Amino acid sequence: MARSDALQGSLPMLILKILARRGAMHGYAITTQIETFSSEVLRVEEGSLYPALHRLEESRLVKARWVVTTKNRRARVYEITAAGRRHLEAEEKRWRKVTLAVGQLLQRI
Amino acid sequence: MSRWSRFVNVLRPGRLQDELDDEQRFHIEARADELEAEGLSRADALARASRQFGNRLILRETSRDVKLLPWLESIWRDLRLGARMLRKDAGVSAAAVISLGLAIGACAAAFSLIDALILRELPVRYPGRLVYLSRASNNQDLRFSALYSYPLLNWMRQHVSPHMEVFSMSHQSLRQAILPDADGVEEKLLSQFVSGNAFNVLGVMPTIGRMLQPSDDVTPGAHQVAVVSHAFWVRRLGADPDVLGTWIQVEQRPYQIVGVAEPGFSGAQPGVLTDVWLPNMMFNRESLGAPNWNWLQVWGRLASGEALQTVQAIAQTAFANFEDDEFIGKDGTRAAGSRLELRSAASGYSQVRQEFQRPLLTLAAIVGLVLLIACSNVANLLLARGAARMREMALRASIGAGRGRLLQQVLIESAVLTLTATALALALSRTAVPFIVRLLTTNENPVYLDTRIDWRVLGFVSLVGCFTTVLFGIVPALRASAAGPGEVVALGDRGHTAKAGVARSLVAAQIAFSLMILFVAALLMRSFDRLTAVNLGFSPDQVTLLTVETRDRLEPEQARAMVRQLLDRMESLPAVESASLSGWALFRGYSNGNNVALPDGRRAQTFRLDVSPQFFRTMRIAVLDGREFEATDSNATNPMPVIVNDMFVRTYFHGDRAVGQRLTTTRGGRAFAYHIVGVVAGTHDGSVRGEMNPFLFTPISDPAGTIQIRSQVDPKTLVDRVRQELPRIHPSLRLVDVTLQTSLVGNTLLRERLLAVLSGFFAALGLVLAAVGLYGVLSYAVVRRTREIGIRLALGAQAGAVVRAVAGRVALAVMVGGVLGLAGGLYFARFVEALLFEIQAVSLLSIALPLFSLLIVAAVATWAPVRRAIRVDPAEALRND
Repeated sequence: MARSDALQGSLPMLILKILARRGAMHGYAITTQIETFSSEVLRVEEGSLYPALHRLEESRLVKARWVVTTKNRRARVYEITAAGRRHLEAEEKRWRKVTLAVGQLLQRI
Repeated sequence: MSRWSRFVNVLRPGRLQDELDDEQRFHIEARADELEAEGLSRADALARASRQFGNRLILRETSRDVKLLPWLESIWRDLRLGARMLRKDAGVSAAAVISLGLAIGACAAAFSLIDALILRELPVRYPGRLVYLSRASNNQDLRFSALYSYPLLNWMRQHVSPHMEVFSMSHQSLRQAILPDADGVEEKLLSQFVSGNAFNVLGVMPTIGRMLQPSDDVTPGAHQVAVVSHAFWVRRLGADPDVLGTWIQVEQRPYQIVGVAEPGFSGAQPGVLTDVWLPNMMFNRESLGAPNWNWLQVWGRLASGEALQTVQAIAQTAFANFEDDEFIGKDGTRAAGSRLELRSAASGYSQVRQEFQRPLLTLAAIVGLVLLIACSNVANLLLARGAARMREMALRASIGAGRGRLLQQVLIESAVLTLTATALALALSRTAVPFIVRLLTTNENPVYLDTRIDWRVLGFVSLVGCFTTVLFGIVPALRASAAGPGEVVALGDRGHTAKAGVARSLVAAQIAFSLMILFVAALLMRSFDRLTAVNLGFSPDQVTLLTVETRDRLEPEQARAMVRQLLDRMESLPAVESASLSGWALFRGYSNGNNVALPDGRRAQTFRLDVSPQFFRTMRIAVLDGREFEATDSNATNPMPVIVNDMFVRTYFHGDRAVGQRLTTTRGGRAFAYHIVGVVAGTHDGSVRGEMNPFLFTPISDPAGTIQIRSQVDPKTLVDRVRQELPRIHPSLRLVDVTLQTSLVGNTLLRERLLAVLSGFFAALGLVLAAVGLYGVLSYAVVRRTREIGIRLALGAQAGAVVRAVAGRVALAVMVGGVLGLAGGLYFARFVEALLFEIQAVSLLSIALPLFSLLIVAAVATWAPVRRAIRVDPAEALRND
């Protein structure tokens, strides 16, 4: 499961990226978005998205509010904050650096 | 998530749980919708969606932890850290906790007294619409200004009725009673006569049985029914439901107990706990027809929607008509134009309150000031400690702790301090409050206040706790949390200077507050001192008072003989200097007015007291002219020999000789003549403060009264001897009450004594706290500047210059504090002026005295640090760093 774990670790960044691209959306919509990219990330449990979302919320990288959907259900909608965008940018930069470094390293060996 | 919503989460974990639940459910349902669209049945779709979602419980727990844990953990960490910091400087912390505890405890005690006496509403229906009738009169003595006669009650009932339901409650008094199970043994209980509708109007329900009803209050003397209070039922009757129907004897009259009042209702007069309620009709039969026999408090409940002013006008008119009908033009005893006022009685009417409201509020202000002093002291302490921890704070800031986080830490440390102090404070006020209530209680006027620690007291204490935490914690907290990472290295003198400035302002504040307290306390103590030094016109020392009664009805001749016999026996007891008998003792609080016509026909108002021969000798009242009474004086009834006092002569004879003159009076419709045989010196009666009043003394002819015995013998021994002697004089004679003349006088000064003692105590406490503060700041200044002082001394500075350098600014702070405190004290003094006796609030002495005591204490507190500064050894100070 090594591959899955690594992807699982990138879940927060993935969430931020999706929210940055698509604007406010609820947990289930985020789930389906992630599924379209990769079936691996949430392979174990779909629900594991939520603690990750709550952790982001706690760090004030996203904010949440309750809305009523067209089917008259109560849904919790998440939105990326300014701090979240900054964090995402920094993380992406760092990620690219690391992958670049790792790539170069692998080429040289 | 905001700090607030986290806080809400901690307090209401249930709501967080629901929200997490809702979110999960939404996800599962949305997924199930999709699966259903793909062709699965709803049940299958839900089951599959749920499986894909994972373990809901564990996920929910994880999210919960994410939301709650960090904050809770940080608080817990700070709490532990705070406790550790307190333990580290155990001595200093103990001082802080004790001074804060004393101050908060004093505040809590003051609050529970004020709450019980003034603030708390009566536990009755519509307390907001309750009023009592009060007469605006010139009479200084409040006791009588709110009492009315039974005919007036009836009159008001008839004339104000639709606008206000009128009812009455008498003044409570201690009466002799025999309880059902007591085998005829007498005890005293507080009873109160009420109108039949009183409980209906108040909405007081019975615990068992029934309350008194209008039908219990119809025919004079015919309603032998009683209702007891819940507290009395529990305390004295063992909460036995079978007491209903049993008989209780009050003042030798049997009453059947028909009910027990609801718990919590102990009468409408805070400060007095009523044991038994009896119907008005059972009070003295004569009183029911006597318009000038004032024994009732008249109350009313405004009808719904009635304004106080409207009803007040109606009541005033009714009252004026009553006065016109009954008095004016009959014997001219009362001037027309007495004004009536309706006063709100939402929290009851209380004589205890009338008497103690201002003193209690004064004390509350004083303890408030003590609290402020204690707060500044603790703030100083935390500042000093904070300076020592600058490095720690800066370090924490540099590894990423936010300012809010540091603020939280320091505030929580303060809160730990306050919490400990508050626990101490509650323990303290629990013992202090009953003690103070006991101080206010006398045999004749038992004071009862419900001062249990309830949610109101707890609420108040927590409020004070929060307030103090913020007050003493916020400055040090802000200073500490302001530490930037850079300050780890650059901890120069700048921070110290700023801190020293704050400390000096705190010293100034402390000096100001304690000077204010000192100022007022000195006034109150000097006033009390003056009061105890007043010449009463008689000597209360070594006089024992024994009140006796006879059961049998005596023929006049028999009664006179018994008086003579009684006094002979008392005088013949060993070591008795002299003995006498009077209707009641001076300062008992009773009085009897008498109208007499002067020789020229003018009318004179005077107080009257029946006394036996030797009364003036026993009381050491000087006979100025004529003679004392003799044994034979009581035989002559018309003219009756009387003695008047100096005030009487001065007021009505304008210095002419009174002895030999005649006065006339009417009693029971018949005219009587008085023949003045002597003039005695004026005495105070009832109050040390008031003017002496005109007095008329008549010979006593009934043994029921108070015996005065002047003797060197210990009162206990004396009482035993009298107790043995009484049955030998007559089997129906019995002792009802024993007290000392000094305690009767002392009881009238209770309020002043309480104020003097407590304000003195708090002034001393404030002074000590301020001295500790001053000492701390100066010591710190000397320690901090030891090196500088060393250099100065090495360069040849004089001791005086060093002292100026170290103490100059602190001295300035003391002076500023002194000036502010004096101004505050003068302002504060205006509120206590009404409590002062023959003391000028603004005088040289009242300013000099507190200022001088403060200067002495300040000098003592300054001495040690200054001496240390002068004795700094330059060589050592320089080597030190």
